[in-house]
Amino acid sequence: MGNRVAIVGIGQTYHKSHRPDVSQMELVNEAVRPALADAQMNMKDIDAVFVGNMETFEGIYLPDHSMVDFSGAYMKPGFKIASGGTTGCSILEEAFHCVTAGIFDKVLVAAFEKQDSGDSTGAITAATTPAWGKGQARGAIHEFAKQALSYIKHSGATEAHAAMVRLKADKGACRNPYSHLKLGLKSIDDILSSEPLEYPLRLFDFCPQSCGACAIIIANEEETKKITNKPVWIADTICVHQEIFRAGAFCDFTGKERYSQEIAAERLYKRNGITNPRKEIDMAEVYEPSDWEEMLIYELFGLCPRNEGWKLVEKGITEIEGEWPVNPSGGVLSTNPIGATPTVRIAECVLQIRGEAGEHQVTKDVNTAFATALGGPNWTSMILLKKSV
Amino acid sequence: MANEPAQEYIQVTYKKPRPYRWAAGEYLSRLYRECRDNKRLMTVKCQHCNEHVWPPSKVCGRCKKPSGDNWVVVSDKGSVVQFTYTNFPMFDPHVGKYMTEEHPFATIDLDDCEIYWVAKLEEKDKDKLKPGMRVQAVWREEGRGGGLDHDILYFRTIEE
Repeated sequence: MGNRVAIVGIGQTYHKSHRPDVSQMELVNEAVRPALADAQMNMKDIDAVFVGNMETFEGIYLPDHSMVDFSGAYMKPGFKIASGGTTGCSILEEAFHCVTAGIFDKVLVAAFEKQDSGDSTGAITAATTPAWGKGQARGAIHEFAKQALSYIKHSGATEAHAAMVRLKADKGACRNPYSHLKLGLKSIDDILSSEPLEYPLRLFDFCPQSCGACAIIIANEEETKKITNKPVWIADTICVHQEIFRAGAFCDFTGKERYSQEIAAERLYKRNGITNPRKEIDMAEVYEPSDWEEMLIYELFGLCPRNEGWKLVEKGITEIEGEWPVNPSGGVLSTNPIGATPTVRIAECVLQIRGEAGEHQVTKDVNTAFATALGGPNWTSMILLKKSV
Repeated sequence: MANEPAQEYIQVTYKKPRPYRWAAGEYLSRLYRECRDNKRLMTVKCQHCNEHVWPPSKVCGRCKKPSGDNWVVVSDKGSVVQFTYTNFPMFDPHVGKYMTEEHPFATIDLDDCEIYWVAKLEEKDKDKLKPGMRVQAVWREEGRGGGLDHDILYFRTIEE
């Protein structure tokens, strides 16, 4: 058993599709400063700085070097992680490993994406090597279109259920001061009549490209007690890797595969003595690039039996006021600064556990929550957070 | 805004070839040679789990062991499991342009091997697409051996 580790400070920027008013470095600084203020610390208190970013999306290399001054890393150790969609969670996991192992006492993680600088879909399409996969890769949208088709076939869910997920996300986003898309959607008809993107996905079924940054400060138990009286403890983290399924998709046609989400959740729950996540955990912020994905991951994270995720949506169980809220912040469907997207999920769980989420605070008390991340090719990271340990 | 002059794009042509050399590796290269020279798909069946490894690879990731050398021919016929089509142009970094893909993409269950492969369909009429439809690869007359799309144009609907 390593040292106990807590989140002692969080900071995030507001999110927009374009931020021509700031450089990448200034954007990161916008998140680092409130995180330090939240922890009532300054940079001399921080032992190491880790940066998370999918650098090819902006078309520059080694952003962690160019922003040493703005991330606060000047003359401090640290490194950058780029692991696709999981980047913003991987960075916290690695910081957690370093603190729990006693290598550092206090670490700042800063994750960002400034998607007005480049073409993320182009970069994702180039992620396949010309030796295999060239011509098949059609960006993230193509993968989630295929996944939606599989989900429709196996679960019996309809487009109306996906639209209910999107409507829920927008309700949360409109109450969240940091979210990107605040569409003010009135009914599922607004989603069902939006422009087709890639069959069966429509414009509002899929996540946006956002500019934004999020910073989190973690500390060991001894330091945490000196820093804050409202720590959020990192009970556990897990990461499961998976090569693309046989068809190169986020879905399984063979019926023989197990999803990385399912395996990650199973291991995380077992290690933490959780037998019924619906009873023993209070809420989650999950990584759902499409509304169809959210229904599938309810099932893979054990919140309901397989092929019944859409029933949770139909019954309103995952609404802000529901029995088991999911993504009260508006989720990835509303805000998606890719490298920072999972970091935002974690920061939002922290706000909910502290009871500081303001208008999008869930109705029930939150003592335990988990945040997740999904990256290509189908990797899953999860972080289990608790008010007390 | 309306009176702003149109942006001028400067195009620079590099005459020197870019020095990228992608090695496909021993097993994938064999598949590509078979496509180019014999117009057929081949892969290896793992010596431990007996499953088709796709694309062919020296290592079976599931067994975490060498997959062996039990090479078998894979059918170029199959059934469409699902299909999708894009309604907007996407940037293709391989050619440096926004490209509109006219052909639908389908996940095809190749016969008798449990290989599910994403490939283009010849049929562009969306009303004629349906899950379960039978298709077969259309091979280029002159194979190029640089990857599957160098040798297979698309999958054509077949009557059986």
